[in-house]
Amino acid sequence: MHRTDGNTTEVEFLYRQHGPALLLFAQAVTGERNRAQDAVHQVFLKLIEKGSLSRVVDKKAYLFVSVRNAALNEGKIQDRNKPLDPDSAWFSPTNRDYAAEQNLRRALSALPSDQRQVIVLHIWGELTFSQISDLLGLSSNTVASRYRYALAKLRDSMFAKENSYANS
Amino acid sequence: MPTPDDERFEVYLKQFRPLVPDPLPTIGHGHRARHTFVLWACIAAVVAILGIGGLTLQIRFNRARVAERVGNVGNSERFRDDQPLTIRSANALLAKAPSFKAMVDDMTFRSQTIPLPKGKRSAIAVLGKEKIKL
Repeated sequence: MHRTDGNTTEVEFLYRQHGPALLLFAQAVTGERNRAQDAVHQVFLKLIEKGSLSRVVDKKAYLFVSVRNAALNEGKIQDRNKPLDPDSAWFSPTNRDYAAEQNLRRALSALPSDQRQVIVLHIWGELTFSQISDLLGLSSNTVASRYRYALAKLRDSMFAKENSYANS
Repeated sequence: MPTPDDERFEVYLKQFRPLVPDPLPTIGHGHRARHTFVLWACIAAVVAILGIGGLTLQIRFNRARVAERVGNVGNSERFRDDQPLTIRSANALLAKAPSFKAMVDDMTFRSQTIPLPKGKRSAIAVLGKEKIKL
């Protein structure tokens, strides 16, 4: 057992700092909050047990890679074609605007999985295109292209939704 | 290239904060307390094993000493040095010895450090002064 109190403290700090974005990213991969939660917990529990984080240079990118792998491994066991859960919230709505949160969540759910992951990693994970390209094993140009397409679709979807609400 | 619209839309999206995940099940006081408990349980087990081992050795050592004493008591009629030699014990030794000479040799090589009680004499001294026909 290589666990130390210093390592546990660092893992706790990273969990508080990046936990929300990691959970959102896992939800973008799995489409389900419980499976996403399990994937994030699995990664951090392994970090506590093994204590191997000190050798990692880019800890934030490493965490996103680990969570993605855990979520995909979990998805291999379970049904990968399961649609995204429409009822579980993904965000804390600003000013209790639950309709806006639901609108954003529906727009994200409508995106293809690869575009949704890029959007989440760049907007809420605050990773650069270079980091995302390393994480997903794609070129930076491909990542940037997917991001632009996804952002445009997201905006159209959300504003069209709001306009349709306004017109109805 | 991102357009101003894109940048404004990104700012709008960042206003939505992702939900905070549930706390990790093993991070916290409970985990450390359980770890400490396991550590102390291991220490207590080691101490108990050492104590039982020591006690077992002590019992075996005591049994060996008792057995040795019992064995000595069995031979006491012939080799006890803590009592003066009497006619009775000399007769008993003579009955068991193969010959008188062997009995006397046996008596001679015994320790004679124990002083005789006042008014009593050693049987060897008495026999040494008497003329006995062999």
